[in-house]
This record gives sequence, structure tokens and C-alpha cells, in this order.
Amino acid sequence: MARFLLKRVAMSLITLWLLSVIVFTAGQVLPGNVGRAMLGPFADQRAVDALNHEMGTDRPLLVQYGDWISRFVQGDMGRSYAYRAPVAPFVGNALANSAKLALVAFLLVVPLSLAMGVMAALHAGRPVDRIIMVAGMSATIVPEFVSGIILILIFGVWLRWLPISATWRPGAGFFGQLYHLLLPAIPLVLILFGYIARMARAGTIEALDADYTRTAVLKGLPQSTVLWRHVLRNALLPTVSVIATQTAYLIGGLVVIETLFHYQGIGSLIFLAANKKDFPMLQAGVLAVGCVFAVASLMADLIYSWLNPRIRFGAGE
Amino acid sequence: MKASDALIELFRRTHGEVHNQLIDSLLAGRLSRRAFMRHGSCLGVSLATLGSIAGGVGLVAGPRLARAQGAGGTIRVAQNAPASAIDPVKIADGPGLAILSYVGDFLCFDRNDLTLEPMLAESWSPNKDGTVWTFKLRQGVKFHNGKPLTADDVVASIERLADPANGSNALSAFTGYLSKGGTRKVDDQTVAFHLDAANGSFPYLVSSDNYNAIILPADYAGNFEQSMIATGAFKLEKYTPQVGASFVRNADYWGGQVAPERIEATFYADIQPQILALQGGQADVILQAPVLQSVAVLNDPNFEVISLPSTAHQQLHMRNDMEPFKDPRVRRAVALTLDRQKLVQGLMKGRAKIGNDSPFAGVYPMTDKSVPQRERNIAEAKELMAAAGMANGFETTLTTERFLEIPDYAVLVQNAVKEIGGKINLNVLDQGAYYGDAVYGKSPWLDSVMGITDYGHRGVPNVFLSAPLRSDGTWNGAHFKNKDYDQLVTSYIASLDVEAQRATAGKIQRLLLEETPVIFSYFYDYLTVVKKGMSGVLTTAMGQLLLAKATMG
Repeated sequence: MARFLLKRVAMSLITLWLLSVIVFTAGQVLPGNVGRAMLGPFADQRAVDALNHEMGTDRPLLVQYGDWISRFVQGDMGRSYAYRAPVAPFVGNALANSAKLALVAFLLVVPLSLAMGVMAALHAGRPVDRIIMVAGMSATIVPEFVSGIILILIFGVWLRWLPISATWRPGAGFFGQLYHLLLPAIPLVLILFGYIARMARAGTIEALDADYTRTAVLKGLPQSTVLWRHVLRNALLPTVSVIATQTAYLIGGLVVIETLFHYQGIGSLIFLAANKKDFPMLQAGVLAVGCVFAVASLMADLIYSWLNPRIRFGAGE
Repeated sequence: MKASDALIELFRRTHGEVHNQLIDSLLAGRLSRRAFMRHGSCLGVSLATLGSIAGGVGLVAGPRLARAQGAGGTIRVAQNAPASAIDPVKIADGPGLAILSYVGDFLCFDRNDLTLEPMLAESWSPNKDGTVWTFKLRQGVKFHNGKPLTADDVVASIERLADPANGSNALSAFTGYLSKGGTRKVDDQTVAFHLDAANGSFPYLVSSDNYNAIILPADYAGNFEQSMIATGAFKLEKYTPQVGASFVRNADYWGGQVAPERIEATFYADIQPQILALQGGQADVILQAPVLQSVAVLNDPNFEVISLPSTAHQQLHMRNDMEPFKDPRVRRAVALTLDRQKLVQGLMKGRAKIGNDSPFAGVYPMTDKSVPQRERNIAEAKELMAAAGMANGFETTLTTERFLEIPDYAVLVQNAVKEIGGKINLNVLDQGAYYGDAVYGKSPWLDSVMGITDYGHRGVPNVFLSAPLRSDGTWNGAHFKNKDYDQLVTSYIASLDVEAQRATAGKIQRLLLEETPVIFSYFYDYLTVVKKGMSGVLTTAMGQLLLAKATMG
């Protein structure tokens, strides 16, 4: 198990390093230079040159990358070109914000979609199943900016029950923050619900048809025990992978939701940094999301192996 | 002797030759009230004096909106997030400029009627040929840290912008007119600007027309976001990049009692959430509402729209040195296919004024209104195409940026030109890609055969006349090179004499209509949306928001 873990951590580190190289290279091939992006198209070329020199962006690319990576491994994420301040607090805050929104969305969507998926499987082919699946599919295909605007108009503008902005006032406590995050979490729930419920339904149907379930039923175990011990445990396997892969989306891919609900998450931080050629911010942001993805994948593997002894023991061999 | 005659006589005796020429023009009926006010304010005469003289000769101002006054409360502003750190020296974007307008002041303020109003300078005047401008500073002004404003602060602030080593965005405005070392202290309350070349409208370069020209303490050394020490109506309370900022009333403000207790500015990445915040009661003001994206609130009776005619526009350039636009007849033919009235009504929902293919927007008092307006005329366009040997039309690519209504405008141009056999392929780029490195050879903006580029508002047309149109212009996408034009522009900018300036404006307008290097179809209005009942909100088409007298109603 320890070797399995070590191998996965090493792979993750190599992936992150490659990611940093790719982001750095991609950033350089974008047209325009940093000083120009900061000062705008109408600035005097002398001003642009002076700013590029001040920020060190007129140095050779390899020197810039070497400088950045050597600082990064020492824990210095660099200074933002645009905000002329250390990158770390920006990335830290944005990551924490994204994690909070993702957590609220997860806490809402995972139990709901698992319960609905299992319920649909237990009633496969019957009206309950059809209603759940059609509703899930319909919710998934509505883009988040459409459902987001509709939700804002209903709950924020007309009824005024929930705040339109997901950004809470400084000093807001747990419930204050939750109150602000409910509305933006709902479009995410709508998008993920159909997907997770479908996987849970498929897994449950498969588990219900499996030999071990039939054996458990035949040996006289109560229905609830069969369901909890044998069916759900196996039905959850594919669902766990789905949830893990969605983590990266929920943390780093919510530019639209963050823009619409005025929320400073890591997705919009990266998007803005790319637009402004703010490479230190871009690199730190992308690597932060990369780390989250790596950790989420690792966690998924661990949970998977815990749920599925064949993997656990296979890895130990 | 009538009181007005006595006033004029006194004015003549106490002012120099250029001021007397202004009075001559007024008395001869050659100037409108607005042109007189605008030119007089530029020469440093107080608006009160100008108003009295104009009133004395029967030119009375139109009614002004009476606004109720009250005090207190917090005003919540929804605005786009500043693109970068708030540094007055480098700032290049509208949202950042808005922040500066809460905390800072300029030497003079470019009002919505394009007249200059004294701010930190009480008065100013040029020497005889407009190469030295002397500004008298207002007394008793204090910075937010309690230090008094002196000439040293003004000299340091403007020198900082003129020094190429500081990478200031103001360099492009100063180049050719004000260099490092040109700003000199005369005494504690007087500063003189020694220019590289005569400039009859120099005060606009140190007014609110220049993003970067707010006056800072002489010892300013960066890190503006930490304290934002300046002289404005509001003092910084807290600034959080990407999130928002709050400001509190400056009790020592030189401009008198500041009405709101606080301003809370919230930064958004897009206009849509700003509209929703206004509709949901979480914002009182949207700083700038682009017309196409803001239809929902522009017609909503719960909100008021402050609509300022501006000189902001989209330039449609055609490469004068490349086919199919080498022949000016082809360029004129393209311009004749556009129905400007329909563009204003359809594309801009009536929130724009039509243009006449020169930077001289109708709102500029110096614009010669006797120059005929270009109208859509397909028959004439076809004749021009035939005369240029292009009866069968042409094919070209129109390259432009994804910004405001520009992609829609490009499609309308594409359709209009079909009537004369023109086939235009569209290449709509991300803004950053379109501008590229913003130097010739490395920028689709400056290198494309045909392009559409956004230009923000300016209080005087000098920048529009120079950078995109002069032979040596740095933003000359049309690659228009015409010696007569260059001379006319030099003379227009240098001129202190109002009538000479207007005569030159007419010549420039006619020359540009003949050559048509760039099509100016419309100049769009600057729209600010406020909650119904708010009063005293003052905005500028540059993007400044002055809330010192604003009340919630």
C-alpha cells in the first residue's frame, strides 16, 4: 500500500512539473507582451519597455522559467504582474473560496443523487425511475449560466430570499457564508445530479443482478442488509470515480458561475490571469488546481481500493 | 454704459491678446455660447466670468436639472474590476480610473460640455504663442494625510508622468508637447509648463481628460493601494484587489461638504451580474452600462439613465497603401454604403450620434457644422467604384476585436458593402490578439487591410487627429500619409485663436471626407445607470464618477 501511495505521489509530482512547463510555454506563445497587456494598446512603447524591464519580462524565456521554478520549489509563488503583489494570498483565497462552494455543492448533490439513483434502480423501468432519469438529464443539459440567471431572477430579484452575490461581507460566520453560497451551488447541483444519479443507478442495477447479491438473498439475509452491505458498496464504485473527476471541475472550472454570482474562485482567477498575461498568477493558479486534481484522484483511488478489496490486495502484491 | 459692457471692458483690460480675440469673436456673433465657454475655460477664464459675459450679450444657458441636496448614507457602486493594481502613474483602464476619481483630483476638470472647470488649479493662462502655460494653484487644499498641497507636489506628479523611466501611460499624451524637465515651480502656488511645441488646448492634458494626471504628494513612492493619499472627496477605507473597495467622506475636502458618508465599490468581471445586482437591490449605481448588454435596465422605470454624449467611437480603417483601398474613390464608396441613422437606431438603440468620417464629433464646439453630412448613397458609390475600375467589386478581410458592439457592427458593414459588390470576410479576434504588440508589423490592428478599433472619449480631438491619422502617427492603422493633413493638424493643435481653430477644423473635415482613410459612423453615448431618486451623481465620458454631491433621494 505504501509503495502504491509513493508511486502515485511521484507520478503526481511529475505531472505537475510537466503542467508548469506547458502553462509557461503556452503563455509565451500568446500574442502580445506582458508590458503591453498591462498598459494597453495605446501606451507609449517607451513606457511598455520600461515596465517589461521593471518586471523582468524582457529577459530570455529560460532565465525567466528557471527563476520562477527555483523560487517556486522554495515556497515563493512569485509576484503578480497585474496586481504587483505576492501571488500566494490571491491563490490561497481563491482556492479556499472554490473549495467552500464545491463543498456546499457536493454536500447537496452527492446524497441527493445517490439516493435518487438507487431509488431509480430499485424501481427500474417504472414511472419513478423514468421521472428521476428524465429530470436528471434535463437538469444536466441546461447550461449553468441559463439556470443561474433564472435562479437569480426568481430568488434574488423577485422573491429576494437569497443574495445575488456569492461574496459575503467580511467577518461573516459559517451560516452567513452558507447563505451566500446556496444560490450558486444550485446550478452545480443541477448539472451534476443527472450524471451522478445515472452512474449510481447503473452501478446499483449491475450489483442487483450480480451473483453475490443473489447468493445473499438466497441465504436469507434481510433486504436492508443485502442493500447496504452488498449492493450499495459495489454500486458506489463507479460513482466514486465520477465524483473524483468532477472535483477538478468544481474547483477550477466554474468561471461562468463565479462571474455570474460575483465570486472570487480559482477558475476566474486563472481566466483573468491568462487574459492579462499575468504569468506568475496563471502558473500558480493552474498548479493549485493541478494539485487538487492530483489529491482528488489519489483519494478516489484510496476509496476505490477500500471499497474494492481486489485492488487493495492487488496493489500489495 | 450697461453692466455687461462694463464687465467686458474690464475683462479686456485685465486679459491678454488671445482673450481679447475670443471676446471679438463672441461680439461678432461667430461663436455659440458653448464654443465661447469651452474656449474661454481652456484659456483659464472662470466659468462664472464666461457665463456673465455670455449672458450679457444675450447668450443664456439652457435649464439645468435642479437636484435636491441631502447628506449621509452609503452609495454602492457596481463596476468592472480594475485590470491591474491601482497605480495612478500606470493606470490604463476605465474601472481603475473610476477608483482614482473617488480619491483624487486633477488640476482642472473636463466637464460634460467639454469646458474646463478649475479643480486644484484656480486659474491658468498661456503665453502669447501657447508654448508656456502657467497654473495658479488653489490655496488651502490638504492631502488625506493632512499635508498642504504645494507647487512641489504638482511638479513632482507631472514630472513623474513625463519621465519615460517610470513607464507611465500618460507618455503617449505628453509626447511632443511635455517632456521631463518641462514642469517647473514658479513659487509655492504657481507652476509653469514649458512645452516642446505650442498647444492651444494644453490644459486638457493635465485635466481629468488624462487618466494619469491626478495630483499626488511629492514623496509618492508607489503602493498607492495601501493608502491612496490624494486630495479627493473620499478617503480610502479598504481596498481588496478583484473584490472591491470602500471609501469614507473626507471631512477636510476643499470642495465643501461631501454628501455621502461612504462609497462601497464592488468589482465585477462582467456587466450581467452588475445589472442583476442593481435589479436585486444590492447596488445603487452601475458605473458604465454598454448599450447592447444593458437593454433590460435602460428601459426600466425603476432606474434612471445618465446619458452623456461622448466622443468615444469605433474607427473603421482601410489601408491606404494596399489594395483594394489604394484609390480614395473606393474608400468613399464603402463609406457611402453605410446608413448611419439606422446604425444609431438599430445597433446602438438610439444611444449614439452619427459621425461624418472625421474625429470632429458633433459634440466638439470646434466642429464646423457647415460641412455636409455624408449620407448613404448607393448610386454614387457604384459610380465611384466604376470610376476606380472596380465595377465588379472586391474581396478583402475585415479584422477586428471582440469588444462591445464591434462584431455586430462588422457584420452590418459586411452586408452594406455587398451592395457595391464588396465581399468582406470577417476575422474577429480576442482583444489581446487584435492589438498584439501594438507596433507596426506585430499587430493585426495596425497591419490589417481593414479593421475596426475602439477609441475612448477625449475632451479635445487632438489625439484622434494625430495618432491614428498623421503620417508619423503611432496608431495609424489606415497608413494614411498626407502632408497637407499633417500641417493642418499641427496648426489646429497649436492655435490659441478660436476662429482660426474652427476654420482649420473645417478644412480637416473636408480633407478627410475626400480621402476617407477612416470611417467614423457614430459616436456613442456614455451610459451610467442609477437607482431612481438618486441625485447629484456626476459622471464623465472618460469613466470618472464624482459622488461628492450624490444623495440617495
